[in-house]
Amino acid sequence: MGSKALVMTGGVISMTNHIFSFKNSFSRTIIIPKYRRVIRSCSTVSSGSSLLPPDVSRLAETARISLAPNEVIEFTPKIQQVIDWFGQLQDVELQSVEPALRADMEGDSLRADIPKTFENREAMISAIPSFEEPYIKVPKVLSKE
Amino acid sequence: MASLLFRGMLTHPPILDCIPSLFSRNVCARYYRMGTITQAHVATQESQSSQLKIPPNARNNSLERLLKDYEAIIGIETHVQLSTLTKAFCSCPYNYGSPPNSSICPVCMGLPGALPVLNSKVIESAVRLGLALNCKLSFNSKFDRKQYFYPDLPKGYQISQFDIPIASAGYIELDLPLEFGGGHRKFGITRVHMEEDAGKLLHSGNGNYSQVDLNRAGVPLLEVVSEPDMRNGIEAAEYAAELQRLVRYLGVSNGNMQEGSLRCDVNISVRPRGQSEFGTKVEIKNLNSFSSVNRAIDFEISRQALLLSQGQGDQIVQETRLWEEGSQKTITMRKKEGLSDYRYFPEPDLPEVILTEEYVNKIRGSLPELPEMKRRRYEEMGLGMQDVLFLANDVRVANFFDAAIANGAEVKLAANWIMGDVAAYLKNEKLSIDEIKLTPHELAELIAAIKGGTISGKIAKEILFELMAKGGTVKKLIEEKDLVQITDPSEIEKIIDKVLLDNPKQLEQYRGGKTKLQGFFAGQVMKATKGKANPGLLNKILLEKLNS
Repeated sequence: MGSKALVMTGGVISMTNHIFSFKNSFSRTIIIPKYRRVIRSCSTVSSGSSLLPPDVSRLAETARISLAPNEVIEFTPKIQQVIDWFGQLQDVELQSVEPALRADMEGDSLRADIPKTFENREAMISAIPSFEEPYIKVPKVLSKE
Repeated sequence: MASLLFRGMLTHPPILDCIPSLFSRNVCARYYRMGTITQAHVATQESQSSQLKIPPNARNNSLERLLKDYEAIIGIETHVQLSTLTKAFCSCPYNYGSPPNSSICPVCMGLPGALPVLNSKVIESAVRLGLALNCKLSFNSKFDRKQYFYPDLPKGYQISQFDIPIASAGYIELDLPLEFGGGHRKFGITRVHMEEDAGKLLHSGNGNYSQVDLNRAGVPLLEVVSEPDMRNGIEAAEYAAELQRLVRYLGVSNGNMQEGSLRCDVNISVRPRGQSEFGTKVEIKNLNSFSSVNRAIDFEISRQALLLSQGQGDQIVQETRLWEEGSQKTITMRKKEGLSDYRYFPEPDLPEVILTEEYVNKIRGSLPELPEMKRRRYEEMGLGMQDVLFLANDVRVANFFDAAIANGAEVKLAANWIMGDVAAYLKNEKLSIDEIKLTPHELAELIAAIKGGTISGKIAKEILFELMAKGGTVKKLIEEKDLVQITDPSEIEKIIDKVLLDNPKQLEQYRGGKTKLQGFFAGQVMKATKGKANPGLLNKILLEKLNS
């Protein structure tokens, strides 16, 4: 069941089968003090984590964030640490627990099908950087990727 | 000529290399001609009757031959735009054709901090459609984020359902139109799930910019994915037509392909018959009518089967192709590198969707009689398949028919009147059956009046026209216009005698052998009685008198 939680985090940080040349020892030596402070309970980095190292270049591409090669190198271990922090969940014994779809929220929170016009359309429109009445002007993008 | 060439190709593969361009030109020409033939039929598509109207000769000979050796596996993904008053996750109204960007708010614009709240009508519509498609409902389902970047997607993700759709594993049953051989079909439905629509993206003609209209962003959709059970263009097109019929019957959507409230994408692969492995799957988009679904599939089957028969199966790649209505062929869209990674994860801003037995049963109880059930009931009532398909096609026509029967009208007669004179009037005036002044009760009265001999069939047609255009009752119209049929033989005899007296010359000609003049006399009697003479009696007595 722990693996299910991991699949979810794995989904967020898109894991691919791309094999990185970074070894785990590398990540152990580069431990930023700042991280130590934030992740209080993470005293030791799990050795030989069964989680795949993050493919940071692909991650950045899918998020449309441009990274220089040195930044890719710099960020990989940091992201690895976050993954390993979540990885602690794998230790939880979940054999007898029914998987939950969602964290429980109060009530249904549904809305009736009654139309209501938003009163401040002008404020939204004026906040659009390139608005050419009546359309929003955007760069031409032909392929959906 | 093309079929000869084709046969040559099947038996002499080496020659193929010289002739392919010639053949493809022929194929294109044939399909273009088919396009013009079916133009008139496409026009009738737009009318309220959603039946296919493609002539049978559109299935040309080479396609028939291809289908002997090759099998097409077809599945369809349909997006149904729900006719709710507000969008899926905010209270903005949605009206097709509103001025661009006039119906927006922070939620559907994806502005920071805005949170989605689900419209309860969306769940209701999803359950209705799921039940109508005989699906198993997921009493617990969730929403997920499907993430990709595109200018018409304000949030950078679409709220959809990924691994736990609200309905799955169902089926749909339909009857193929008689002009295509008829037959009953049952196609599986893989899943039905809820999601939101994106905005509209318009590419400027020149220039390096595009324009976005977010009116449509956030409008609720139901995606219906079929099992790959269809085998040819007709089955696929009729599946789409039946889905349209169904959503209209249920009232969850107006199902207009032209408006974009019903969108179909086709997935098709072709393999030699007998082969167990599937061929390469190709997706076809930009299908705007049932006939283009049909034609696009026929074209794609031909294209793929041709490549396979030439040993060039590797030229069929997994891709998305667009159907070009003008040239009547599919063309490659920009090739995608690799599969899309949508990075699905559960939507954190929305709670679980929970259904209760009580809720589902209530909805099940409120479902109207579905098209399939109606067709079976009409068949049992003794109507022929042609009548059944017509009457059950539009739910309003079916309701009118049912009401007329309930008012005592005879089944076959009511069907004939509705399919004949009433349908012709609706087509001419471009009205739906709800909009004419004729009521089912009066139609029943009209039929009874004919049966009882009060009026003749011809008079009835005139009354019908008046009833449809202006309303009123049969009884009153008969009274006002003095249309009661003359069935008294002695009265008819008197008029016949007068007519014969007034036309001695024609009488002589008749006695001399021109027996065709009986029609002339009958016409004169009708004129004298203002059409009220009972035709049967008239002719009987007339014949007696003429031959005496």
